[in-house]
Amino acid sequence: MSQTVLSISGLRATVEGKEILKGVDLQVAQGEIHALMGPNGSGKSTLAYTLMGHPKYVVTGGSVTFGGEDLLPLTADARARLGLFLCFQYPTAIPGVSTVNFLRAALRAQGKEMPAREFLNRLSTEMKELKIDESFRSRYINDGFSGGEKKRMEILQLAMLRPKLAILDETDSGLDVDALRTVADGVMRLCGPDMGVLVITHYPRILEHLHPDRVHVLHDGRVVTSGGADLARQIEREGYEPILGTAVAATA
Amino acid sequence: MTTPLTDSPAAALGQAVAAARAEVSPAWLAARRRIAWDAYEAMPMPSSQRDEDWRRTDIAALHPERFTPIDHVDAAVVDAMRAQRDGAAPTAAFVIDSPVAAPIEGADTLHAQGIIITTLEEAALVHPELVQRAFSSVRADESKFVALWNALWRGGVFVYVPRGVEALAPVWIAHPAGGDGHAVFPSTVVVLDEGAALTVIDAYASPTGPAALLSDAMVILSAARDARLDYNTVQQWGEGVWHIGLQRAVLDANAKLRFMGVTLGARLQKVWWEVLLEGVGSEADVLGICFGDGTQHFDHQSLQAHVGPETRSNLLLKVAVRDHARSVYGGMIDVAPTAVHADGYVANRNLLLSQGAKADSIPRLEIRANDVKCGHGATAGHVDADQRFYLMARGVPPEEASALIVRGFMDDVLDRIPHRGFAELAGTLLDAEIAGGSVTGVAAQAS
Repeated sequence: MSQTVLSISGLRATVEGKEILKGVDLQVAQGEIHALMGPNGSGKSTLAYTLMGHPKYVVTGGSVTFGGEDLLPLTADARARLGLFLCFQYPTAIPGVSTVNFLRAALRAQGKEMPAREFLNRLSTEMKELKIDESFRSRYINDGFSGGEKKRMEILQLAMLRPKLAILDETDSGLDVDALRTVADGVMRLCGPDMGVLVITHYPRILEHLHPDRVHVLHDGRVVTSGGADLARQIEREGYEPILGTAVAATA
Repeated sequence: MTTPLTDSPAAALGQAVAAARAEVSPAWLAARRRIAWDAYEAMPMPSSQRDEDWRRTDIAALHPERFTPIDHVDAAVVDAMRAQRDGAAPTAAFVIDSPVAAPIEGADTLHAQGIIITTLEEAALVHPELVQRAFSSVRADESKFVALWNALWRGGVFVYVPRGVEALAPVWIAHPAGGDGHAVFPSTVVVLDEGAALTVIDAYASPTGPAALLSDAMVILSAARDARLDYNTVQQWGEGVWHIGLQRAVLDANAKLRFMGVTLGARLQKVWWEVLLEGVGSEADVLGICFGDGTQHFDHQSLQAHVGPETRSNLLLKVAVRDHARSVYGGMIDVAPTAVHADGYVANRNLLLSQGAKADSIPRLEIRANDVKCGHGATAGHVDADQRFYLMARGVPPEEASALIVRGFMDDVLDRIPHRGFAELAGTLLDAEIAGGSVTGVAAQAS
């Protein structure tokens, strides 16, 4: 059994005064792929932002350790430097900051700087893998990108930064079948003993590509049930209702 | 006569200095200088109480009569400015705007093309018709500070590119100042004949430090039919400098102006950026960036005057202010009845980096022609929290994230500058401003 990289225990969080996370428990072992599923409004994205340290999300209880360190007192940049990565559902455009400059700043901040030639070679290779046109190097990050281009750019950053754990927040949303395959293949290529994945989705399709070790269902701010890959297939067949019915009955 | 006609360094701005300037000028210029001085004396100082144009810019603490016209060149400042030329445009001719004779450097190629590069004083003597042509766009008495400049300027830089000549190298004009209590009258006059093309870099600098200086500046750009002028200017005065200036361009048929202004220094700056699109089909792209901190005050006033038909203009000024710095912007697109099918746009974007920083923006349109396309836009806001979080989520510390966003905000403009060397210089100076607190001016030993 490999070591736990992320350990969430009784995590509670509010957004603008409203409690969204009501005691989340979740463990991810080094190099594993976990899926966090759940209907809209269950708190999935809130969990992603809370883990990354967005100032709008206020932790009111519980604990989170990452690689053995207490994550909660740290600002987002410090969390990233520990090896946590969030694939944003809605990546932000930063006009004037080119993709290359953005990546270099991020690598430098994380102590992963490399010589210019090596950087450009690696960038070029990763862009080819993700079918991103070379012109995107000098384009301003996410500025005027389509939904699919933004998602691929997130995976490109993932590939360049090589974190310990990547949280994919609804990375599949808004992608057509081909784009989904490209993105999922990109993720599968990267994960392994050094990089685990927590994929957040309410739609099981991406899991056909990602083959999760564990599947968790979040409902009303709590993980209500966990299982293997067959849990995702059950959700695809039957929807959330039977599971949530049982889970709600079980906790009642 | 009891007033000595002296030009000695001890003489502060006043009648005696003005008379001495007229005395050494050719007759046509002497007459202009006398009209200007009389107008200067007759006009009250602009007042934020009385004058709508000055409502948001208070110069009550400025007393021109306490300043003495500079009579020397600060060698250390010139060296720092030359070093900037060496880095950004090594092939450019280097010309110093100086009250005393200064050699023009690296101009052999341009001289061989028949391009005239000389002092404005010399040009007024040798090429009066060219200088008069340029001066015809600026009335000697049109405002207090324009009148003062007309009465007192000396030295100056004049560039003329003959018909059909495309300059093989840029001209880098340095307007240095130094010492304390001096007044300078930086002067740039550029005349492009039909089909001529030239790139100019016009730089103002004084040493870092609080020395009080007055800069009353004039730039006159004249582009004849089909001429193309690429004009870049950078203002790097020290933090005790008052800078007031008019930069006016007149474009004939199908002439194209690309104007880039970089404003970083001075205690207070009030400038007018004016483009008169007189000829049919003439075009002007005016870009500007401005970074202020401490208690710096910037006032940019722009005019895009569409006179000829089918004229096009586009202006974008981006301003970032920190601490208690303040920016005032007023922009006008004026479309004359003759300017059918005119296409004009003016935009001012402001980034407020501190609670105490402030930016006012008043773009206006005055349209007196039919069938035109004109618009304006103005925004002011703080650093976007989502952009900052996005960068931080990739490991970038908060201060660096903000710096990257500010730099990105400006790069949107810098990326459009055709002269890449100048764009890089502007970026480097900007980075130093973003990182370095309220320090402006060039790193040079004050003489």
